[in-house]
Amino acid sequence: MTIMDIVHEASQFEVPLSADECLKCNVCNTVCPVARVTDLFPGPKYVGPQAQRFRIATLLPPQAPSTPILTSPDATVDYCSGCGICTTACPADVKIAEMNSRARAEIKAGHRPRLRDWLLGQTDLVGHLGVAFAPLANWTLRNHLIRTLIEWTIGIHRRAPLPIFAGKTLRSRLSATAKGSRGETGGVVEPPPDRAVVLFHGCAANYYEPHVAFAAIEVLRRNGFETIAPDQVCCGLPFISNGLYSNARGRARTNLSVLADYARRGYKIVGTSTSCTHTLKAEYREMLDVDDDDARAVAGATWDICEFLLDLHDQDRLDTNFGRLDETLPYHAPCQLRSHGIGLPALDLFALVPGLQAIDMDHDCCGIAGTYGLKKEKYDIAMAVGDPLFTRLRATESARVACDSETCRWQIESATDRPVKHPIEIIAAAYAARDNPSRASGPEQAATTR
Amino acid sequence: MEPSPSHPRTSLARSIVPSSDVVVVGAGLAGLTAAIALVDAGAKVTLVARGHAATHWTAGGLDVAAPPGSNTAAEGLARLKARRGHPYAFLAADVRPAVDWLMGVLSAEGLPYAGDLDAPLRTMPTAIGSTRRVSLVPDAQSAALAPWSLDERLVLAGPAGFKDFWPAALAASLERPRVWGGDEAAVARPARVEAVSVELPGLAGRRNLTALHLAHLFDDPAWRATALDMIAMAVEEAGTGPGRIALPAVLGLADHAGALRDARQMLPLPPFEVPLVPPSLPGLRLYHALRAALRRRGGKIEVGEEVIRVDHDGRRVTAVAIAAAARERLFRTGGLVLATGGIAGGGLLGRADGTLVEPLLGLPVEAPAIGEWLAPDPFEPAGHPLESAGIRTDERLRPVDAGGRAVFENVAVAGSMVAGQRYLVERCGDGVAIASGRRAASTLGAALANTRGRREKAGATR
Repeated sequence: MTIMDIVHEASQFEVPLSADECLKCNVCNTVCPVARVTDLFPGPKYVGPQAQRFRIATLLPPQAPSTPILTSPDATVDYCSGCGICTTACPADVKIAEMNSRARAEIKAGHRPRLRDWLLGQTDLVGHLGVAFAPLANWTLRNHLIRTLIEWTIGIHRRAPLPIFAGKTLRSRLSATAKGSRGETGGVVEPPPDRAVVLFHGCAANYYEPHVAFAAIEVLRRNGFETIAPDQVCCGLPFISNGLYSNARGRARTNLSVLADYARRGYKIVGTSTSCTHTLKAEYREMLDVDDDDARAVAGATWDICEFLLDLHDQDRLDTNFGRLDETLPYHAPCQLRSHGIGLPALDLFALVPGLQAIDMDHDCCGIAGTYGLKKEKYDIAMAVGDPLFTRLRATESARVACDSETCRWQIESATDRPVKHPIEIIAAAYAARDNPSRASGPEQAATTR
Repeated sequence: MEPSPSHPRTSLARSIVPSSDVVVVGAGLAGLTAAIALVDAGAKVTLVARGHAATHWTAGGLDVAAPPGSNTAAEGLARLKARRGHPYAFLAADVRPAVDWLMGVLSAEGLPYAGDLDAPLRTMPTAIGSTRRVSLVPDAQSAALAPWSLDERLVLAGPAGFKDFWPAALAASLERPRVWGGDEAAVARPARVEAVSVELPGLAGRRNLTALHLAHLFDDPAWRATALDMIAMAVEEAGTGPGRIALPAVLGLADHAGALRDARQMLPLPPFEVPLVPPSLPGLRLYHALRAALRRRGGKIEVGEEVIRVDHDGRRVTAVAIAAAARERLFRTGGLVLATGGIAGGGLLGRADGTLVEPLLGLPVEAPAIGEWLAPDPFEPAGHPLESAGIRTDERLRPVDAGGRAVFENVAVAGSMVAGQRYLVERCGDGVAIASGRRAASTLGAALANTRGRREKAGATR
């Protein structure tokens, strides 16, 4: 066993020291969607593995007390959108995007967070307030004058695609039974793990798009699974993306304290937000160094909804009695989905639906990358990153688009004026078309029921 | 250099995806060629790769064979065919049809290639002011192929301040006859070499400008019209007379065909691209065209997914396990193409004890003993000893043991994993990749047809 083996075993060094594998081959720079459109970001190679050598000295214990703590030699790392495409492209397994995220966090550590960045991470607080005052909040956030003021004061771009608050939260619409034994009421008898899954609905489904969660619940029910949605908070990804790791760790601990118990009892944790599920699977460990038994149990139990359904199909357990959906459906695979390493399961599911012609738009990133494209100084970059996708979508005849990630859906809707659906909504519509072929939720109807 | 556990599994949870007829591992020239040929043969193919391959680092041409002393690629091919243990010893007959076929595939994707295996190898300038000998090149480099006439000038034209292409420095080097092959009388070369640097629109003060930035600018028809106009004026100001223009290889990526067309129309002399240091646009275009060809045919390609294990029953590979986030993902498969890129690509790993291992299937590796890994001369004319390391196969490219027996029936090895080639000095890597990729496809395609035939027969008699 060498020193490097020991170092590799300590997971908190896995990301930072993967820089050692970098060949300086530039492949990451060829795929970076941000460096493609702006000089403000020199490219993942430069701010990632190349800058990492300046940071690495502070990582190796034991550290002499006099060693200065180096953060990053280059603050442009903040222009990394965190899309993660570089990591998937790297032939040497360097965790480039993860390294950049950690570098950003180190730059921000010990400083008071910028109000905007803190606010973008406070998805539960904002969500609760927004839903409570939904009509007012929605009006406010669509008023151009107010949005201009918000841009000046807080730094959220006036045209950034902010979602519409739902009238009620998902949680308030779920029955006590659906919230499980760990729910507010407690003591509920839960169906066993072969007949139920835990739903990690995330903030998007709770505060903005309860219909996505309901589509998932319905599809799961069709396939013999009850849904348990125990107490949960934001996965913490918005804090991670904004470099506020200690806040994110708090979210991680809260979620793990509830979810680990389910995971150990054999429940699968299924999520409709592909970025939340990736956070549970990988980022608690890779970014936050939260790598205890709870984190491992939850990571191993977490599934993206489409990944879960495709797995059912492979076991011949998926109900494939879909009705016809005669439409051409452009599909955008979010950058965050690619980090799962699960292929594009939504496309495999769409292929099972008669009449449905899904088209993979094959574009790397829509630009938004979570909260990146909301920011005043990054909005134009995000729009430029997504521009080829938007141009092609605007040129299609299709009435709607499919995409697994909520922030991407909002970005694409805002840029193209096309309704963008979660794949699970399409699958739910395909079941509905079977039940009631005459009232099938075709594209026209779907567009009007937005 | 032990493989580091870069993907510690946090759980043994498994996800099984629907089966493929063949899984191809590796997204380089060999893997992509094999995958395209397999889909053409009717197989359901999934190509998985841990990351992008060497296509992004290469000059974009197709090196078939150019060992020292050969005048044409065909001659080089014959020479290597006669070399005991070289992959061309059994692949040589496939090379022409395979390369012709692949050039057809590339042309259909809007990336035509030019050149002739029987024509003399041509000397073309490089971006460091040296030259290299080529046979098959992308259309954008084809203007460099024709022999130079006595009155021709070569104008090196590049954007001012672009760190990867320095016209004046290149000209200073390329003015020397010996750079073009030594014997001044025998080797055609330009009569004059000139250099122009052009301030292109919007680039003043841009630091860290890369080939990719420039290529994206050249994708924009309006920008490139202005830029080409400025280059044309600068070239005309620099001198008169017939000749050719060498440009850095930045003529577009998404709309390379349009950029090349416009460059040919607007520049006063025929232009050709000079490949740059990585990231190489000609290599990227090759990758993009092959990926598009595979996807157009219905093949799947997933990059960023590392194979961590291959399951087999001793004779046949049955499944391939991929490192997904928090779990492994299992592809059931009827066959496997191993195009994992040899030592440079991570397909072979060196251990501290001086052995080389093939990490996915533990195949027997043919390699020099540790004492012979390093040549005393880093530029050893015969090539680096370790280059020839690889997997010894039968003529169908199935890996074999020391006795020459196939170790697995449904595994075929392709590209630089195939033992016995010294691709750097023999300049045969692309030819081997294409011919072996296609041969691997036919081996596994035939195996699939047999399996299907047996299954159908069994079905009929039942």
